Parts: sequence; structure tokens; C-alpha cells
Amino acid sequence: MTSLEFTNISRSYKKGLPVLDGVTFSVAPGEVVGLLGRNGAGKTTLIRIAMGMLFPHYGSVRVFGLSPTDDPVAVKKRVGYVSEDQVFPGRLTIAELIDFHRYLFAQWNDVLERQLLDRFGLHTGSKIKQLSKGEARQVALLCAVCHRPELLILDEPAGGLDPAARREFLETSIQLLNREGTAILFSSHHMTDVERIGGRVVLLDKGKVRLDRDLDVLREETCMAMVPRAWASEPAGVEAIPGCLGVRLVLDEWHAVFNGTPESVHRSLQQSLGASNIRCVSLPLEELFIELVGGDRKEVGAA
Amino acid sequence: MDLFVNPSGELSIYRQIMRQITEAIAGGRLIAGEKLPSHRDLSEQLVVAPLTVKKAYDELEALGYIETQRGRGTFVCARLPRIDPDDQNDQLRERARQLLSQAYLAGLRLPDVEKMLKDADRELTGGAAARKFNDNGEKVKQ
Repeated sequence: MTSLEFTNISRSYKKGLPVLDGVTFSVAPGEVVGLLGRNGAGKTTLIRIAMGMLFPHYGSVRVFGLSPTDDPVAVKKRVGYVSEDQVFPGRLTIAELIDFHRYLFAQWNDVLERQLLDRFGLHTGSKIKQLSKGEARQVALLCAVCHRPELLILDEPAGGLDPAARREFLETSIQLLNREGTAILFSSHHMTDVERIGGRVVLLDKGKVRLDRDLDVLREETCMAMVPRAWASEPAGVEAIPGCLGVRLVLDEWHAVFNGTPESVHRSLQQSLGASNIRCVSLPLEELFIELVGGDRKEVGAA
Repeated sequence: MDLFVNPSGELSIYRQIMRQITEAIAGGRLIAGEKLPSHRDLSEQLVVAPLTVKKAYDELEALGYIETQRGRGTFVCARLPRIDPDDQNDQLRERARQLLSQAYLAGLRLPDVEKMLKDADRELTGGAAARKFNDNGEKVKQ
């Protein structure tokens, strides 16, 4: 069974302006999926739907086969959730907050709780409102994982954290993942974090899934071709070539993302355009992100 | 064994892991029968997804460099895959020619290239501890 499954999810806040528009993908046990997209692409809305905090207007979401709005308790027992803007009552101490969570979850693991408190160097007597941003996020992670969830959903968990705190957060997530079967869905703008712990990426763009692919495949079998404008006056001339995922004009060159290794794409472009001075390079995730959803670009059908 | 991954590197992470383990075996820093960390331990050490390390191990196993013994762990194979020496020599000679032509085009001379090869050897074998062979031509650790 899948850990998490979105089927054709649509949702809008204003009529006729969908934030999510037919999103379908799933997360298998043990998988780490990075949810990418620009601000406003619909990542947080999708995550809130998975947590049962929002209804989809169309489509369905299943967490371990259950609906998070019909079976909220059964679902929440098996899910951990951390978000960037999570708010805990500021007047509580860490100890009181943990007691509250321990009371909610029968399967709360005291050993893991102690390990994480030691590791993060947290003093349980401190009040939540006195914590630094990084410490508050560590408390949130502790509260999200000590019931040993089978699915961890992280909405921009490392936003605003310094590199050392981010790494510590990732290390803790990986350790949790190493428990058989725990899956992670996390949204992030830190592409190196996604490349480091992600197995697969789902790229949302204007409410639709633009790309859903294994990172290794993305790294090895996706590349960017730089085609001088002389070889194609309109973007359609490049878009029409099989395997093209997106085109944009940069100065006097088309930057086109293609499925395929740089060598194979170079060969097929030479054949179809008869051009000789085309360069093809493989791209790190950050560059790929910018090429596919950044700034001024022409739309090509979803990947 | 010290491994290092660069998430933004040219190679995907599982290939970076594969390459470093293969180099460690080639250089004698990992010897036949030596135990590798479990894929879970290595994933925590490198802070990468466990499935990524598992993929690297699976590929190395398919290539015959390492083997998993159920309940015991993962080990460097006692008998490493032999590649036909004739094929291999032709390939290596070709590579040597490419290396030299690239070096000469860059204005280097033969002694510069020899020095580079020696440096690479030191990196592969891990410092001055040049590996030794026993009478059967098998690698032994010093």
C-alpha cells in the first residue's frame, strides 16, 4: 500500500483561480520525495490537504488508504508534521509541550525523546516563546517524530535555519527514515538538501505537476541545450523536438530542457535543426528548477 | 573508509558512492573480505537517503565487487571480477593516448603527466603505504 496518495486534487481559494489543478502522485513506504515549486505554486495547500487541514474541492487524498478528514485520529497516529509557521503555545515549557504530546500518542517513545533532547541540547524548563528559531523547529521535530510516524510531512522545515541547524534536522530525519518503511514528503527551497536526502522530486508549477522523476534519472537523463536563436526564430521550433520539457530565451540563445543525456540530445538536435554550434550540459537541480519554472519562459505541455 | 558526497556534483550521489568504493578497492584501501558499513549506517554518516546508498550497493553487487551475506553484512568480494587483460590493455592504451594528447595540448610535458599519475596513485592507495602483493599476486594489506 502507498503511504500517501493524491488523486486529481484541485482546490481554489477564489472561484475560477485554482491553486491546485489536477495533482496526482503518490509516495511509497521508505521513499523520500521532495516537493518543489515557486512561492504560490500550491505546495503548502497540497500538504494541508494531506494533513486533513483543508478539503480538496475535487479529487481525493489517501494516507495509508484512509481519508485524513474522515479518519483524522487513525491518520494522525501514523503521521508526523512540521511546518515553517507552526505555532505552539508560547507560555508552555518544553516539558509541558512534550507531556501534552505524550498524552495524545499511546505509542510515544521515551527513549527517542531523551535522545533528541540530548542531541539538540534543549532544556526542558525553557519556555517556548524564549526559544530561538532553530530551537523551536527542533522542538517541533521532536514532537512530530517521537510517536514513530510511518509518514513524515515537512513543509519547508529548514526555512530560516542556519546551515548547521539544517544539517542537524536532515540527520535526524534520515535516522528516522532508517526505521523500516517511514516515508518522507518535504517541501523545500534548499535544492542541495533535496539533492542530498531526496530520492524523487515532484515539481509543482501553477497548481499542476510539472515534473515527477527520480533524482538520479533527472541528474543523468535530463539536460539543457543552448541553441543560438539563428536556428529557430520561434520557441515552437525547439518545443516541437521530441523530449523538450521547456524553452526560454536568454539573450540570443534558446535555453531548452530536454529528456536525454547531453550526448544524445546534442545528436538529435543536430539532426533536427541541422545546427552545429549547439551546446548541451547536464544541470544541478537548482539550475533545472530555474530553467523550468523561472521567470520569462514559454509553456510546453506537462512532463 | 572515508566517503564524501557532493549533492551538487556532476555525478548523481549513488554514482559518487559507487566510484569512491571502487577506487578504494582498486587502491587497496578496501581489501577482499573486508566488511562495509550497513547501508543504513552509511546513509546516516553521509546524510543521504538510505535508498540511495542501497542503490549504490545493489549496483556494486551486480558488478561483482561486493556481496551481501544474509544476517552478516556486506563485504568486499573475495574474488573480484576479472576483466580480460587483452581487452583491458587495449582500452588503457587508448586512454593513455587521450590523456597524453590532452596534456600536450595544454602545454604540459611527459614528466608533468608522470607526476600526475604518481599523485593519483597516492590518492588511490592512501598515502605512502604502497600496496604489496603476495606470491599468488593477490593484494595484501600492510
